[in-house]
Amino acid sequence: MKKILFYFALAVSALVFVYPFIWMISASFAPENQIGSLTFLPSGFTLSSYNQMFEKIPIGRAFVNSLFVALTITFGVLVFGSMVGYALSRMTFRGRDTIFYIIIFTMTLPFQITLIPQYIIMVKLGWVDTYWALIVPYLMNSLAIIMFCQYFKSLPQDLIDAARIDGCNELQIIFRILWPNSIPAIVTVGIITFMASWNEVLWPLIVIRNENMMTMPQLVALFAVGGRAESQLGVKLASAMVLALPIMTAYLFFQKYFVQSMASSGLKE
Amino acid sequence: MKIMKPAISIIMLVFSFSILCISCGGGSHPSGGQILYWSSNNSYEIEFARQITEAWNKEHPDHRVIFQPVPEGQSSEEVILAAVVGKTTPDIYSNMWEGDVESYARAGVLVPLDTLKGFTEFLNERCDSSVIAEVTSADGHIYQIPWKINPIMLIYNEKEIKNLGYRKAPASYSGFFEASKKFQKDSDGDGYIDRWFGYSEVQVTWWQRFFDFYPLYLAASGGAPLISNDTVAFDNKYAVQVFSFLRELYDKNYFSRERLSARQDVFLDGVIATRFTGPWEIAHSERYKPAGFEYNFSSIPVPDDHKGPIYTYGDPKNIVLFKTCPDPGSAWQFLRYLLDEKNELKLLEITNQLPRRKNVDGNRLYSGYFDRNPKMRIFAEQARYVKGTDQSPVLKEVFDLISQEYEACVIYGKKRPEEAVKDAAKAARLLFIK
Amino acid sequence: MKKKITPYLLVSPYIIYFLVFTVFPVVFSILLTFHSWNIIAPMQFIGVANYKRLFNDPVFWRSILNTIIFLLIHIPLQIVVALFLAEVLNQNIKLRGLFRGAFFLPVIVSGVVVTILWQQLYGYDSGLLNRLLIKIGLNKIGWLNDPLWAMPSLAIMATWKNVGLYIVLFLVGLQTVPQQYYEAADLEGATHMQKFFRITLPLINPTIMMVVILSTIGGFSLFIEPYIMTGGGPLNSTISAVLYIYKQGFFYYHMGYAATLGLFFALIILSVVIIQKKFVEKEQ
Repeated sequence: MKKILFYFALAVSALVFVYPFIWMISASFAPENQIGSLTFLPSGFTLSSYNQMFEKIPIGRAFVNSLFVALTITFGVLVFGSMVGYALSRMTFRGRDTIFYIIIFTMTLPFQITLIPQYIIMVKLGWVDTYWALIVPYLMNSLAIIMFCQYFKSLPQDLIDAARIDGCNELQIIFRILWPNSIPAIVTVGIITFMASWNEVLWPLIVIRNENMMTMPQLVALFAVGGRAESQLGVKLASAMVLALPIMTAYLFFQKYFVQSMASSGLKE
Repeated sequence: MKIMKPAISIIMLVFSFSILCISCGGGSHPSGGQILYWSSNNSYEIEFARQITEAWNKEHPDHRVIFQPVPEGQSSEEVILAAVVGKTTPDIYSNMWEGDVESYARAGVLVPLDTLKGFTEFLNERCDSSVIAEVTSADGHIYQIPWKINPIMLIYNEKEIKNLGYRKAPASYSGFFEASKKFQKDSDGDGYIDRWFGYSEVQVTWWQRFFDFYPLYLAASGGAPLISNDTVAFDNKYAVQVFSFLRELYDKNYFSRERLSARQDVFLDGVIATRFTGPWEIAHSERYKPAGFEYNFSSIPVPDDHKGPIYTYGDPKNIVLFKTCPDPGSAWQFLRYLLDEKNELKLLEITNQLPRRKNVDGNRLYSGYFDRNPKMRIFAEQARYVKGTDQSPVLKEVFDLISQEYEACVIYGKKRPEEAVKDAAKAARLLFIK
Repeated sequence: MKKKITPYLLVSPYIIYFLVFTVFPVVFSILLTFHSWNIIAPMQFIGVANYKRLFNDPVFWRSILNTIIFLLIHIPLQIVVALFLAEVLNQNIKLRGLFRGAFFLPVIVSGVVVTILWQQLYGYDSGLLNRLLIKIGLNKIGWLNDPLWAMPSLAIMATWKNVGLYIVLFLVGLQTVPQQYYEAADLEGATHMQKFFRITLPLINPTIMMVVILSTIGGFSLFIEPYIMTGGGPLNSTISAVLYIYKQGFFYYHMGYAATLGLFFALIILSVVIIQKKFVEKEQ
C-alpha cells in the first residue's frame, strides 16, 4: 500500500515537470478564445495559430539558420577542441602548461565583460547580420578542450605510437585514430555544444537585426515580446512549440546521452 | 584517403563562405547613378512610393529612383541603425522618426539639407516657423524634411457621451472626471468594475508615453519641450498636472489597470467610451464597428485653467538624405517632386495620413478629400497645433526614465506626482553630465 | 623538424582566438569605460564620468539587489528539491530512468520556451496558477505584476527549469557514498532520516557546494527570462544586470557606459565565485 502511494506521489512530482509542456501542446492547437480556460484537452482542434505564425514570421528560415549555425559550431568545436586537447595531452612543448592555465582562466572569465567589445569587433569586421558573427566567436570552447584533453590522456600510448610508425601525421592521428576511440567524449561534447548553440539567444539578439538572419530562439523571443503577435496567445505558444520540438524529439530518442553529457559537463566545472 | 579530412574542411569553408556571400546581400547600392529610396513597409505607403517613383522615372530616365520597403526587423528604427553601422544605408529614407534624427545628425551621417539649392525657400513655403524651429538641429542646420503626421486625439463613443448628458467629449480634467464617474459601472454585478471611461496601456515601454503622457503634456503646456538645449525642461507644473490627472484616473478605477488590449476591441464593444488614438483608427473602426455605432474625435483634455490652443503629439515621420548618396542634387529634385502639392493629395488619398504642410485644412486642392473624409478634417484642423519631438540624442532614455516614474506614480500610486516628476528630472539630468 | 612545430600549429587557432576574442575585448573594454561612444559618432574621452554615473545609478544597484534576492530564493529551493528527489530516485525503484527523464526535460528545452510557457501560467486573469488558486478558494496572486512577487516568480520558474540537472548531479554524488556506512547505521537501528542527516548530507557536501557555485553563476547570467517575461518591471523589481547592460549597450547604444557596467559586474561575479571556491577549499 505504501508503495502505491509512494509511486503515486513520485508520478505527481514528475507530472509537475511534464504537464506544462502537455498544456502548451494542447493550447497551441486550441482556438484562441479557449486558451484562457484550457486545462487539458481543447474541445476544438485548430491549426489557425500555426497558420498565423507562419504568415507573420519567417520561422522556417530561422530554423535553417539555427540548424546551420549549430551544426557548424558543433563541428568546429569538435575539430578544434580535439586538436588543442591532443596537443595539450599527448605532446610536450614549451608553453604547454601556460596554455592550459589560460584555458582554465578563460572558463572562469564572466562573459559580461566581453559582450560589448565582441559586438564592436563584429561591427568593425562588417560581420553584423551575417553567419560569421554567429559562428566564429563560438568555435573554441574551453570545456571541450579540457574534456578532450582528459579523454585523450586516458587512451593508451601504443595506439598513437602504432599510428606514427605507419607514417601518419598528427592530424591523421587525431581524426583517424583517436576519434573512433573517443566516441563517448565526442558524443558528450557534441551534444552539449549543439544544445548550447541551439538555445543561445543573447548573442544573436546583439549581432543580428535582419529578420531573415535571425536564429529560432531569437525570432520566437522577439515575437513573444513584440507587438507582431497582437496579444494572441495561441500564436506565441505555437512558435514556442516549434522551437521546442526539435530538441524534445532528439531528447525522446537520446535521453540517456543528454543526461550523461550534461552531468559530466557540470562535474567538470 | 589521405586527403579526406583536409578536403572536408575546405569544403565546409567554401560552403560557409558562399552562404556568407548570399547573406551579405540586401542593401547593396544600385549602380550607375541611380538613387535608392527606402519607404516604410506599410502597404499603403509602399503603393504611394511605387506610384510616385514610377511617375518620376518616366520623366527623368537619367535620374532613376529605385524604391524598396525598409527591410524587416524588430522595428524599422533598429534596421536603420544597423544599416548606418554597417554602412549599407539607402540614399533617401522617408520613414525616419523625428526623435532619431539628432543622433544621426551629430554622427555626421546625414546631409545638411539647408545647404541644398532652393531648400530654405521650399521649407519656408511648406511649414511655419515653429515647425522649422522644431526640426532645426543643435548646430543650426536642418537634416530632415517634415513629411507626415498622425496627430493623437481623443476618440469617443457618441451615443454613450450623449447618454451621459454631454454634447461632445469633456475637454477639461474635471469634466473628464465627472464623465468617468457617471460612466463607471459594474454591469454584471460580480463586484468588479467592467466599464471604464477610457484606457491607456499600462506598459512601461518608453514609446507608450507617446499615447498618454506626452500628448497630455503638450496639450497642457501649449507645446512646451521636454528637453531643450541639452537640459531637462519638463520639471514644471504641467508635467505634474498630467501625472496627477492620470494618477487619479487609475486610482479611482476610471481607467483600467488590467491589460484590456488582449481582448477584442474594447472601444467598439462599448467597454470603454474614449481612447487616445490617431487617424489610423478611422479605417479600423469603419471596418469593425457594429451596426449603429457612431464615433467622433475631439482634442486631448486639458487642465481646468488652460488657456489657448490645445496642442498634441503628431508622431511625425520625416525624410532624410544619407551622406552616402552619390547625387544629393538629383535626390533633392526627386523629393521636391514627392512633396509637391498635387502628389501630397495622393498621399492623403492612398495612405490617409496628413502631410505636414501649412494650411492643410484650408487648401482647396484637398477640400474634395476632406469632404469625403470629414473625420480626417478634424485631424487636419488639429494639425495646426501639433508638435513632434525635441532634438536630442538621448530622447529615448528620457522617455524611459519618465516611464519608470509614470509606473511608480500613476500606475502603482507609490509616489506623489511632484516627487515622480522631480525624480525623473533628476535621473534625466545625469544623462547630460559632461 | 616537423614534429617540433606541430604542437604550435595545433594550438595556434586557439591562441589566435584567445587574443582576438578574449585579450583584445578585455583590454578594449577597460579603455572603453573611459569614453563615451554610440557606435556611429567618434569616441569621446570622458575620464571617470561613466564610473561616477554607475555609482549613482539606482537601476544598476537595484539589479544587483534583484540578483541577490533571486539567488537567496533559487539556491535553497533548488538544493532542497533536487536533493529530495535525488534521494527518492536513489532508492531501489522501478522506472527510475523514466522519472529521471521527466525531471530532466525542462533542462534541455530553450529558456525562451520555458519563459513563454510560464508567462501563461503566471497570467493574472486566466493563468493556470491563479485559476487553481481560485478553485481552492484563495485569492489571485499578482505573480508578474506585483513588485514583491515578480522576482520570486522568476526564481521559482528557474528552479523548475534546472532542478533536473541538479537531481542528476546529486544522484552521482549520492552514489559515491560507500554502502558500508549505511549498513553500519542499519545495524545500529538508525531511521532513514537519521541516516540521511548524519551520513549522506555531510558526505555529499562537495556536491552541494558545486550546485551552489553553478547556480550562482547561472543566476548572474539571468537575461532572457526577465527580458521576455517582465521587461525588467514592475518597478524595476526584475531587472537583471545583464538585461540592464544589454539595454544600455544595444538599446541606447551607450557603449562606454555599458562596458563600464559589464566590467564592474564581471568583477563582482569574479569576487563572489572566488570567495565561494575558497570557502569550498577550506571545507575540504
